[in-house]
Amino acid sequence: MNVLISGGCKNGKTGFAQDIAVRLSGNGKRYYVATMIPCDDEDRARILRHIEGRSDMGFETLECSRDIAACMNGAKSDATFLIDSVTALLVNEMYPDPHMEQADQSAAFRCQSGLLRVAREAKNAVFVSDYIYSDAIRYDSFTETYRTCLALLDRTLAEVCDTVIELCAGNAVCHKGGLDL
Amino acid sequence: MVLIIGGAYQGKLDFAKLHYGISEEDIYTCTEENGIRFGAPCIFQLEEFTLWCVRNGTDAVKFFRAHRPEWENSILICQDIFCGVVPLGADMRAWREMTGRLCAYLSREAESVSRIFCGLEQKLK
Repeated sequence: MNVLISGGCKNGKTGFAQDIAVRLSGNGKRYYVATMIPCDDEDRARILRHIEGRSDMGFETLECSRDIAACMNGAKSDATFLIDSVTALLVNEMYPDPHMEQADQSAAFRCQSGLLRVAREAKNAVFVSDYIYSDAIRYDSFTETYRTCLALLDRTLAEVCDTVIELCAGNAVCHKGGLDL
Repeated sequence: MVLIIGGAYQGKLDFAKLHYGISEEDIYTCTEENGIRFGAPCIFQLEEFTLWCVRNGTDAVKFFRAHRPEWENSILICQDIFCGVVPLGADMRAWREMTGRLCAYLSREAESVSRIFCGLEQKLK
């Protein structure tokens, strides 16, 4: 089973996704696939908070900042994967050198095929993304390209996932499927 | 009138094409430069029309009220731009407010309102 969880920033998406992954996996193996590459102390503190938050939930953490389907290499076939997050994965693939403003144009399609492979081959997968499409700002083409690509991934996942949830202030709005997992 | 709203790149136009049989020739796309022209079965990017309104000192809701017979059987599509931080620029703030007020008015008048999220319809009315 596949679940997509999106919504605004700081709405409890990770915590919610972890609970879903625990319920889906039952007694099976569960992996937390961390995609973020920490850039500063703020990132490192956030990662530590996340690690602490899931310490007693039975996840094994896999670091996978690019080539997302590789997270399944050597993993148990009946495992549940929590991919946190699609947003960071796309950043890493699009901007391999954070000091260069040159986007890798093929990144979105690479992410798309990798994510589809996870959705197809994993027993259960929970994908976390971010809803960044509803503000009144005219972005530069750099940011606008990123938004277009993330929307492509979100829509791809929404199509193949059994359940699609939007979190709003910690509350789940169900756009597809249901929460009776 | 049918109102379709949703964030950028969420598939609002694809939804209109699929569910209401809209084809490319049926679509009028608003622009910041030219504003709006009524008459097409589907009017896309109302948020560009509201930006035109801000630039030209026009009240979008009054404008729509005055032209009611011309759009009351149309499918209207607008990007939801209401959820970010308050924009720093005065014209962007005015744009956001104008778009919000227009969508609230059109929602009241619409027989159906759909919000598109990641390509999926959420029926609001």
